[in-house]
Amino acid sequence: MSTAFQPDAPGLDRGAASDDRAVLVASDVTMRFGGLTAVDSVNFQVNRGEIMGLIGPNGAGKTTFFNCLTGLYQPTSGRVMLNGKLLPPKPRKVVMAGMARTFQNIRLFGNMTALENVMVGRYCRTSAGPFTSIIRGPKFRREEAATRQRAQELLDFVGLGTTTDSLARNLPYGDQRRLEIARALATDPQLLLLDEPTAGMNPQETRQAEELIFKIRDLGLAIVVIEHDMRFIFTLCDRVLCLVQGRTLIEGTPAEVQSDPRVIEAYIGTGPEDAADLEKELEA
Amino acid sequence: MSRPVLVSAAAQERHGGHGRLAALVGAVVLVLSGLLPWAYSFEALDGMTLPVNPSPLQVMGMVLGLLVILGLLGPRLLPARRGRLTVGWLRAARAAGLGAFVFMLLIVISIAAELGGLVNVEYGGWVALVGALLAFAGTRLVAPGPQSTLYAARTRAWLELLAIVVVMAAALVGIAYALDNDDAGLFVSFLAFAGALLATLSGLGVMAWLSAIAQRRRQVLILAAFVVAFLFPFTQDGSDANMSIATQVIIFAAAALGLNIVVGLAGLLDLGYIAFLGAGAFTAAVLSRSAFATLDWHPPFIVVVLISGLVSATLGLVIGTPTLRVSGDYLAIVTLAFGEIFRITMINLDGEAGPNLTRGSNGIPAIPDLTLGSFSFGRPHELLGIPLGRFSNYYFLLLVVIALIILVFSRLNDSRIGRGWVAIREDEKAAEAMGVNVFGLKLFAFAGGAFLAGVAGAVKAHQDVSVTPDQYVFLQSGFLLAAIVLGGMGTVLGVLVGATLLILLPEKLRFVAEYRLLLFGLTLIVMMRFRPEGLIASKRRQLEFHEDDEELAGRIDDQIQPSAALKGATA
Repeated sequence: MSTAFQPDAPGLDRGAASDDRAVLVASDVTMRFGGLTAVDSVNFQVNRGEIMGLIGPNGAGKTTFFNCLTGLYQPTSGRVMLNGKLLPPKPRKVVMAGMARTFQNIRLFGNMTALENVMVGRYCRTSAGPFTSIIRGPKFRREEAATRQRAQELLDFVGLGTTTDSLARNLPYGDQRRLEIARALATDPQLLLLDEPTAGMNPQETRQAEELIFKIRDLGLAIVVIEHDMRFIFTLCDRVLCLVQGRTLIEGTPAEVQSDPRVIEAYIGTGPEDAADLEKELEA
Repeated sequence: MSRPVLVSAAAQERHGGHGRLAALVGAVVLVLSGLLPWAYSFEALDGMTLPVNPSPLQVMGMVLGLLVILGLLGPRLLPARRGRLTVGWLRAARAAGLGAFVFMLLIVISIAAELGGLVNVEYGGWVALVGALLAFAGTRLVAPGPQSTLYAARTRAWLELLAIVVVMAAALVGIAYALDNDDAGLFVSFLAFAGALLATLSGLGVMAWLSAIAQRRRQVLILAAFVVAFLFPFTQDGSDANMSIATQVIIFAAAALGLNIVVGLAGLLDLGYIAFLGAGAFTAAVLSRSAFATLDWHPPFIVVVLISGLVSATLGLVIGTPTLRVSGDYLAIVTLAFGEIFRITMINLDGEAGPNLTRGSNGIPAIPDLTLGSFSFGRPHELLGIPLGRFSNYYFLLLVVIALIILVFSRLNDSRIGRGWVAIREDEKAAEAMGVNVFGLKLFAFAGGAFLAGVAGAVKAHQDVSVTPDQYVFLQSGFLLAAIVLGGMGTVLGVLVGATLLILLPEKLRFVAEYRLLLFGLTLIVMMRFRPEGLIASKRRQLEFHEDDEELAGRIDDQIQPSAALKGATA
């Protein structure tokens, strides 16, 4: 119990991309639905130990792009490489390849305890089959104990160490978000995708979430965050990608994105007073 | 979930005192009435004609009366105090009151039915009925009071073991008593008494305490249950009548448990499950030494069992692979059709429409009894001077089979695979996104359940002597599913109870046998309305059926915490 959570990151140095810190490389990803081009040749790279923000007004194609990354959609053209390997087309295989996600509207297994939720996350990294499960063979017992211990460590890591046996649905909202992150971390990801992790949180909970995300970054994971809360994204992220109408509007450091007039225009419109207001808000 | 409210909380507040008094008087009257004659003739029930000489049923009525009194006086005898566990005295009194009334109603109706008219009910019977009615109405006016917290009691090990032994002994005596009597009225009244007793204990909180013990001492409990099941044939004195029913119950329960893996654990609705049982039975029949068997290969029985299981599992894979990719309702339709296709295929494999494998609708008769070395299952045997008939032999074999199935069921449930199944039931998309192999786990449940049905079917073929297609119709799948829904999805005990009721009631009561479809249908509708999770529900299923019941979620949360803490301490 005393040992701190250590990410084992198999395959981290297998990255054959130009930059060997790159975890995820999306090149020229295009997604068309019939005549509609939802995502139009977007290039995207996330390195280990980096937090990448993904922003854009409603309908900009954020979710479609996100789904291309998680294996729900297969891009019409272009490709997504994870650790130098082409991303498999199924959500389950994407998880096994080392990418985990959380959901915008929390999707925990409500009638399972917090610990069981995290243990489900370990499913893809364990392999006890029916036979050893039935005879309770040594492999089963070893693996089950390891799963339980790892899950408890992860709960401690996200700050839920004392709610192990609470039903997920009885946890407060902020804790449910943390639990979702713990469950995602249980799959041993090298890349974590967070879909609006602070939606519906109060400022204090948002700050806690921020701290947690930094902590995960410090483990060496790459993190992608979709978020509407600009203040949150600009304090959190190392780089920010802004999508508008399926295209990359700008990619750069928070400061660069923040000061780009096109971003403000995309969000607010062209009125000069509005722009000034937003600028003020962003600086605050 | 909303329960029917007879008396509002406000009325209970106002008239609680009167209700209590009325109930006490009624209960005392009920107890005393046991000393009076209830019926005019010995023919009715178990002979309740003698004064001051209560028959067993009369004693049961008196016990229920005493329980009402105990429940009402409990709060006075043992007042609630801080730091002391809450006992659900008044809840118990309410349950006992309701139970006593139902019990007395059934007694009076039975006497009238068996002797031809209400005139045959002696004055004592009427007194008892009035007493029970008073007790019932009175307890309705009493507010139920707080939920019991007995489940949190820390008890000594010997007490827990004693409790298990007492429960098991009571079960054995109760079952033997119920089966020993051919009188329908007596059987029903006894069931009502047993139900009232269980409801009262549940109100007190004893049942929750027992189930906490059961969780802590699983191994002991299961062992004890099998000892009781093993002892049962010895109470039958060589008679095969009840043993025939008992073997039917076990085969039915074994199949229902297999189906419960599919339905209760993996959450897949399978309406054609009986076909897998049939596939196993036909495989065993075809490979048996029957003169009508169509294959000339007779491997030893253990091999036949394995082949039967594998044939069923293969069928499961064939059906499951294309259909498990689609969602719930489609699966139900496909499996429903598969059940029919199986039956028609078996009829057509008669040498005319197709190759002769099953001899068509005649099926394969004269399947010989199993032999194990020099031990023939067909001949009666004697153990410790107690004779055991043919069905007892099969009963023991089936106990082994069902023990295996229970082992598979509970161990899979409590493993990585079981967690995967729960996750799929909870949120399939999220499970997939967390790396759970949704399709693989579903297919495994489907094929694994089919395998177990095949194994049960192989034994059934020998025990039934003949196998025909019309034994494996849709109705049987429906009954299996009814046993699960009635007993409780996802639990072993629930399915055993459900299977027992579904087989036992029609066997013991001609009335139920004649109207069984109507009665089972009505029962299921009532269950769906008031207790969709089944008689003995798994906590998780209970939560799933009551998504918006926060109070229940909180209570179950409290109940899992201490046991989980204990598990952590011993691990």
